[in-house]
Amino acid sequence: MNLANLANNYEEAVAMLLFVIGFSNLLLQKNLIRKIIGLNIMDTAVYLFLALKGYIEGRKAPIVVDGVQSMEAYVNPIPSGLVLTGIVVSVSVSALMLALTIRLYRRYHTLDLDEITTRLKKEGL
Amino acid sequence: MEFVQNFPFFSILISLFSGPLCSVIGGKAARRINLAVITVIGAMSAAVLNFTIRSGEAYVYLMGHFPAPWGNEIRVGVLEALMALFFCVVMFLSMVGGSLERTLEIEAEKENLYYVMVNLLLSSLLALIYTNDLFTAYVFVEINTISACGLIMIRQNGRTIEAATRYMIMSLLGSGLLLLGICFLYDMTGHLLMSNIKEQVQLLHATGDYHIPLLVTVSLMSVGIAIKSALYPFHAWLPDAYGYSTLSSAAILSSLVSKGYIFLLVKIFYRVIGFDIVRDSKIVNVLFAFGVVGMIMGSVSAIKEGNIRRMIAYSSVAQIGYIYMGFGIGTTAGVIASLYHILSHAATKSLLFVAGSGLTDASGDSTSFFDLTGAGYRNKLAGVAFTVGSLSMVGFPMFSGFISKLLFAQAAVDSVYYKLLPALIALALSTILNAVYFMKTVIRIYTPAKREEVQRRGFKNVTVADQKAKSVALVCFIILNMALGLCSEPVVRLLREGLGMFS
Amino acid sequence: MDAWILLPVFLPVLAGVILLISLALEKRKKGEEQPDTEPGEAELRSLHKYVAVALAVSGVLALAAAFSGEYSVTLFELLKGIPVYFHVDDISRLFAVVISVIWLVVAFYSFVYMKHEGKEQRFYGFYLIVYGVLMALSFSGNLVTMYLFYEIMTLTSMPLVLHNGSREAIMAALKYLFYSMCGAYLGLFGIFFLYKYCDTLTFTAGGTLNLELAQGNITILLIAVFGMLIGFGAKAGMLPLHAWLPAAHPVAPSPASAVLSGVIAKAGVLAIIRVVFYVVGPDFLRGTWVQTAWMTLTLLTVFMGSMMAFREPVFKKRLAYSTVSQVSYILFGLSVLSPVGMTGALLHVVFHMVIKCALFLTAGIFIFKCGETRVEQFRGIGKQMPKTLWCYTFASLALIGIPPTSGFVSKWYLAQGALEAGVGVFGIVGPAVLLVSALLTAGYLLPITTSGFFPGGIVKHFKIDEKHEAGSAEEASVRQSGQENNSVTQADVGRVAETNRKADSLEPVPEMLIPLVILAALAVLLGLFPNPLINFAGRIAASVL
Repeated sequence: MNLANLANNYEEAVAMLLFVIGFSNLLLQKNLIRKIIGLNIMDTAVYLFLALKGYIEGRKAPIVVDGVQSMEAYVNPIPSGLVLTGIVVSVSVSALMLALTIRLYRRYHTLDLDEITTRLKKEGL
Repeated sequence: MEFVQNFPFFSILISLFSGPLCSVIGGKAARRINLAVITVIGAMSAAVLNFTIRSGEAYVYLMGHFPAPWGNEIRVGVLEALMALFFCVVMFLSMVGGSLERTLEIEAEKENLYYVMVNLLLSSLLALIYTNDLFTAYVFVEINTISACGLIMIRQNGRTIEAATRYMIMSLLGSGLLLLGICFLYDMTGHLLMSNIKEQVQLLHATGDYHIPLLVTVSLMSVGIAIKSALYPFHAWLPDAYGYSTLSSAAILSSLVSKGYIFLLVKIFYRVIGFDIVRDSKIVNVLFAFGVVGMIMGSVSAIKEGNIRRMIAYSSVAQIGYIYMGFGIGTTAGVIASLYHILSHAATKSLLFVAGSGLTDASGDSTSFFDLTGAGYRNKLAGVAFTVGSLSMVGFPMFSGFISKLLFAQAAVDSVYYKLLPALIALALSTILNAVYFMKTVIRIYTPAKREEVQRRGFKNVTVADQKAKSVALVCFIILNMALGLCSEPVVRLLREGLGMFS
Repeated sequence: MDAWILLPVFLPVLAGVILLISLALEKRKKGEEQPDTEPGEAELRSLHKYVAVALAVSGVLALAAAFSGEYSVTLFELLKGIPVYFHVDDISRLFAVVISVIWLVVAFYSFVYMKHEGKEQRFYGFYLIVYGVLMALSFSGNLVTMYLFYEIMTLTSMPLVLHNGSREAIMAALKYLFYSMCGAYLGLFGIFFLYKYCDTLTFTAGGTLNLELAQGNITILLIAVFGMLIGFGAKAGMLPLHAWLPAAHPVAPSPASAVLSGVIAKAGVLAIIRVVFYVVGPDFLRGTWVQTAWMTLTLLTVFMGSMMAFREPVFKKRLAYSTVSQVSYILFGLSVLSPVGMTGALLHVVFHMVIKCALFLTAGIFIFKCGETRVEQFRGIGKQMPKTLWCYTFASLALIGIPPTSGFVSKWYLAQGALEAGVGVFGIVGPAVLLVSALLTAGYLLPITTSGFFPGGIVKHFKIDEKHEAGSAEEASVRQSGQENNSVTQADVGRVAETNRKADSLEPVPEMLIPLVILAALAVLLGLFPNPLINFAGRIAASVL
């Protein structure tokens, strides 16, 4: 592991950095909205990583318009497909999280999850 | 190709499409459809199990017309079919057992939505069991999470929403790690199908390339799934989620949802990475340590708990610890013990939840430990069932828990020296702690309550005739439990065979 | 087909389950209006007939199974290589026969006694089931089968302890369950190790330990065996897991405490015999720290049990402590690992079973007839129930070990075994402790006889306790003590004497007295004609050592 490696793969490094940022936000933030933002950063970081890995410099998307060229002319379409699938998943998950957040906010008028928990304990439910 | 080989695909499809169907029809009809779907899928799984046992090998089923490296695949062996069958049985009984609570606790116009979630959950569980494609597995992991979240929050009170939120957050952390792990693997091997990845990984391992990334990948996926299945330090959401959701949700969540993830982990260990590499990666030791700690701490929390539902929930934390300890032992015997414990725990925990609710029904719906005094007399069947469940948890011979303890201990005795003692000590301690809180509860429910107290609180006697559905479910659960406890040999043999088909 | 030897297991269990189910059905039929109505006289009589017939038939079957040859049955495989397997050998015979006799005798006693405890149907249901389980335990052919029935025995005997349903009884039952389970799990974990290092878990005289496999793991194996000794010792009341005994006995109905103390505590002994002499093998333990620790623990228990009994004022608790001490005599005899010691231990198993049951039955009669539980209240009781007290006296003499009663024979062998075994200082300390403990035994048992026959001074006049018609035990004893005060303050010696003279005898009905007489007679006669038993026990000891 030397720095040159890191510099050559700076895109991946950025993706990982983003992932860590998102992950720690999702884990550590108290505010629910920030948590959701963290979640999205985390997911996006993974998609970035996938997209990076799926792209090879100088090749085209495998959409054949002017006759099939040799295999080397195209990139593998699957990573992009995966990214699209992943986006769909993360959108639905975010939507669910936001819906939950709205529910909680309507009930407790706060976005702080720990405070909600303390209040629940006080309610003795 | 025989017709029966289509069944795994059919069963995923049926449950997937019955979900949307339930969303447009009324609650009663949705309920019937749901039960019918589970029954049909259970029957199909039994047929598949029969087929795979006869043929003696696993088969691969193409989804679409693309062959191996490109297309999506389903792979079916004995273990997969057995799990599918068992999950269907437990789910069916849990749904039957919790039907009364559902009508009481869920708003009538939303009842059909509950069945949407259950059907989706079933389909995602089946997909997790059968799929041979890692990314498909990820997608269904998320579907599983979402539908489980729906199951928790369908009963609307502050606790369940909070629990659902916490559950979502933990689950998302877990699936983020899992996804990253999958991407790493894809990056390294260029494949998404489990069998292809495994070939490449074996190659990489042999050449020694990508040693560290491989290690990181295994750790990411293991930790991700461990978080999702509520291994000890990640269990904060669990007692609330199980303790306050409606009965069938609690039973299904505790016995099936986390087990689906764990089964995926087994598949990753055996079919994606190869168990030798996993063992060499030392990640098993981490799982072992967390499992052992979980076994103890879960029980300790359960002892402190005064609410019976939450107590049962905490006991789940301990049981998940058992399962991870089994993986952590790092031998095939350990994994078989864990797989058996998945079955045993599923059968026992849902029994306990249903029986516990039967007891609370006879105690004015109070879940407080002290109000349960004498509940075993007021609801006799639930009392007996709870006793059976407790004894099974404690590891009393004749019941399923005993066999899993036996298997764990055998696996531990045959393992390396530094795991032997911790494993056995943890087993012994956790057994004793289990005995503390379960036996305490059993004695409590059989302590006669003061007559004035019963009259003052208006506790009613509950007979079998009052709760037909629940009673049927309880009796079936007891039979299932004793069957697993007395005739374990064929089941263990199937597990062994199935695990053999994995590689 | 040898499977018929399981009949004495299944028959009583089935009979018991039928009783319990019919009880549940009856309750349902009666409805909730009068849930606690006691059964009528006719019903009771038919219940007693049913229980007696069931027990007698299964007892005969058990004897037949024990004495018509060597049988083995494999029921089914619990796990691969771990079958549920039954086999009849000499140890099985010994236990099966003695347990059957005791069980039947105590059953007849309880027909009368249980009238005042109530809930008889439930009691007999579990009583029958436990008998079946004990037979299964005696006939078990391998360690796992034995463990299985050992646990089931704990569970099914628990309702006998919590019979009266009071808070105390439930706590005691909980304690009993707890100690037994913790002990059993210690045993279970030992089984795992033995499973690995033994050729087979099937009981084989002399042990099946594979020393080649065990090489290098001796320490851990020793720890495991020690754990098993402690664990199974819990049932036998050995230190440090002995505390359930004094808690469970006073609250249980007397017939139940008789069999708990006499028989169920011996199940722990049976388990230890099986582990040490039939699986691990005595040679493996000889001279190790485990043997030393085991001997120390048993001697400590012997001494401590006697001391506690000596200081204990509640009669049944005193007897419970006495059990703690006496069962450890047996364990000490086993722990010296010599043939003579083991012969003594096996003899003491039989004798103690008989004697302790007799003593508890006496305690039961005292409670049943006058509601007294404390030792100092028994002054002068011999005037009104001389036969009972004579039986008690004979049983006590036997327990102390005064020749020519049975206890003398077994203790003689125990002491001789310790001296011969070559266990160093324990060869001298052991017999010394046994002797001291025998003196203490005399000290805690005989005062009841002396003060019972020769009260000296003014004594109260015992009255029949009508507890079984109305009122609880506490009420009755309060009433009694009130009366006692009266009779003393009146200080009218002549009148008291007069009442004494014309006192109607408090002697229990023959149905209750005869079992007691039988047991007391056995306690003496077995000492007079011990040779067949000694030969039998000697044969067992010779086969394993």
